[in-house]
Amino acid sequence: MTTHDSPASDYQPLLLPHPGRKQPVELAEYRAGGGYDALLKAVKQMTREQVIDEVKSSGLRGRGGAGFSAGKKWSFVPKGPGAKYLCVNADESEPGTFKDREIMEIEPHLLLEGVAITSYAIGATLAFIYIRGEYTVAADRLDAAIEEAKQAGLLGKHLFGTDYELDVLVYRGAGAYICGEETALLESLEGKRPMPRSRPPFPAVSGLYAKPTVINNVETIANVPHIIARGAAWYQTLGSAPNNTGPKILCLSGSVNRPGNYEIALGSISLRDLVYGERFGQGMLRGRALKAILPAGVSAPLIPADKLDARIDYDGIQAAGSMLGSASFIVLNEDVCIVKAALRMVEFFRHESCGKCTPCREGTGWLAQVLDRVEHGKGDAADLELLLSLADRISGKVLCALGDFATSPVVATIKHFRAEYLAHIELGRCPKPEWC
Amino acid sequence: MLSPATRQKITDEGQRYPEKRSALLPSLKLAQGEVGWLPREVVAEVADLLGLSHQAAIEITTFYTMLRKQDPGGCVVDVCIQLPCALRGAESVYRKIAEHLGADGRIEHGHGHAVARDGSATAVATVECFGSCHRAPMCRVNDEYWEHLDVNDLDKLLARIDELAANYRARGEAAVREGGQP
Repeated sequence: MTTHDSPASDYQPLLLPHPGRKQPVELAEYRAGGGYDALLKAVKQMTREQVIDEVKSSGLRGRGGAGFSAGKKWSFVPKGPGAKYLCVNADESEPGTFKDREIMEIEPHLLLEGVAITSYAIGATLAFIYIRGEYTVAADRLDAAIEEAKQAGLLGKHLFGTDYELDVLVYRGAGAYICGEETALLESLEGKRPMPRSRPPFPAVSGLYAKPTVINNVETIANVPHIIARGAAWYQTLGSAPNNTGPKILCLSGSVNRPGNYEIALGSISLRDLVYGERFGQGMLRGRALKAILPAGVSAPLIPADKLDARIDYDGIQAAGSMLGSASFIVLNEDVCIVKAALRMVEFFRHESCGKCTPCREGTGWLAQVLDRVEHGKGDAADLELLLSLADRISGKVLCALGDFATSPVVATIKHFRAEYLAHIELGRCPKPEWC
Repeated sequence: MLSPATRQKITDEGQRYPEKRSALLPSLKLAQGEVGWLPREVVAEVADLLGLSHQAAIEITTFYTMLRKQDPGGCVVDVCIQLPCALRGAESVYRKIAEHLGADGRIEHGHGHAVARDGSATAVATVECFGSCHRAPMCRVNDEYWEHLDVNDLDKLLARIDELAANYRARGEAAVREGGQP
């Protein structure tokens, strides 16, 4: 199939309004475009409850993966005195995901404005941006932007001359995928090993330093200034209410001609548009056929080639048998061995399992071992049932989602490509040992 | 063992957060920035500066991959071989870097580890992802991102590795001349 025209070509990106730009938008430029006006509006004209209600009725759902209503999450924070914290989850580590990196590297003030509005709404005077350690450029740019905003009186004491004050600290991680799990992130911030906590209590009640805490993804927070500036009703015109509103950045990678970040209104394009559209992926690398798409990095079930008409929003991807998650689309072509791909994904989870829960710590190792022998032609037919049974013994039996994520490459590839597994066993070797 | 400047930075870090323990990770990174890695004595020194137990600092050091438990030489080259990079030729990039270091480029169970003969550089084929999937294949040389790599055109990257390795050897030789340990 060749490329085709994509719909919605008049869409104006809101989260990444400068595609292709290399240098960050500095304060003067951001202010000239109306930047920090939403913060001014929030702290001067709106009560905390009004800000929360506006975000709640916008329909904004968490963009980090779980898709929980942002406004609702904020509303769980107890009112009244006492320390509260906002932690921005910038530990973007899901394979195939690189959207938060671009927001932070190019649009740092959009994020900071969202941080300030969110902190105001929940009554936090200290906010952390927990950023993965490898993102040094993004972290340096955020530090510089925070300094700029402080100098201009947009952060720090007496914001816009009000009584409200806010300090923002960038906290750099040190290479651990598990820190993207919100309670592990809190443990890491507290200077402990980042191992997920048992819930309840939920962070909104007892989070960082046992104080009420909201944790939101970078992209989620970057939506907030737009919602406050233009209102929930306007926001709902993007996408389709109630479940799929607002803009969404899609990360496209793998066997396509033009990988990259593409921002759309939720639901406005299909998977086919994303891969083949002129404004998006521009077709498959070397004209090969598409075998499957992973819609949420390596953590959610793959979608086979016969479901390319699925529309890209929370409901559309769910109907296609997977989940939107972080909207990180990895495209596999027909030459890729599905067992090898599943093994590579499971290896990731084995490496990143924090080791706290036995089913995940041991189970990811076993999954990898069995997949490895099937891939190298040393498996037998019983191994498929063994893999599924192992997956069942991990899924839902651990404290966090990492264990569930680790099983999805296995379960989904066996479901859709069982014949390819059996071919390894019958041939006694991998039919497609090369990656590309 | 740490310089007065780094010790001061760590002491300052200890005042930045609502609880002191939050300063551990940033402080260990400051120490590593000076020493190049985290020998046990340095980990203990960081803990002492913050008034925390050695055990607390060891727990953190041993968990995170970016905190180095061994001297990696002049540079660590992390080659991402997770799915999006693998689909665009990451493994051949890793093998070529390993070959350049004079080491075996085997990738086993998604891992590989190649060390230059004199210990001056280390290449790791890692299953981690560094958020450059749209510019794959990629690698990280210490803190630098090298993206859009082409296995047939790695001269600049290999020259950079050589440069960092040579600096490391020169530092070692200077230390020996001054009568210290290399």
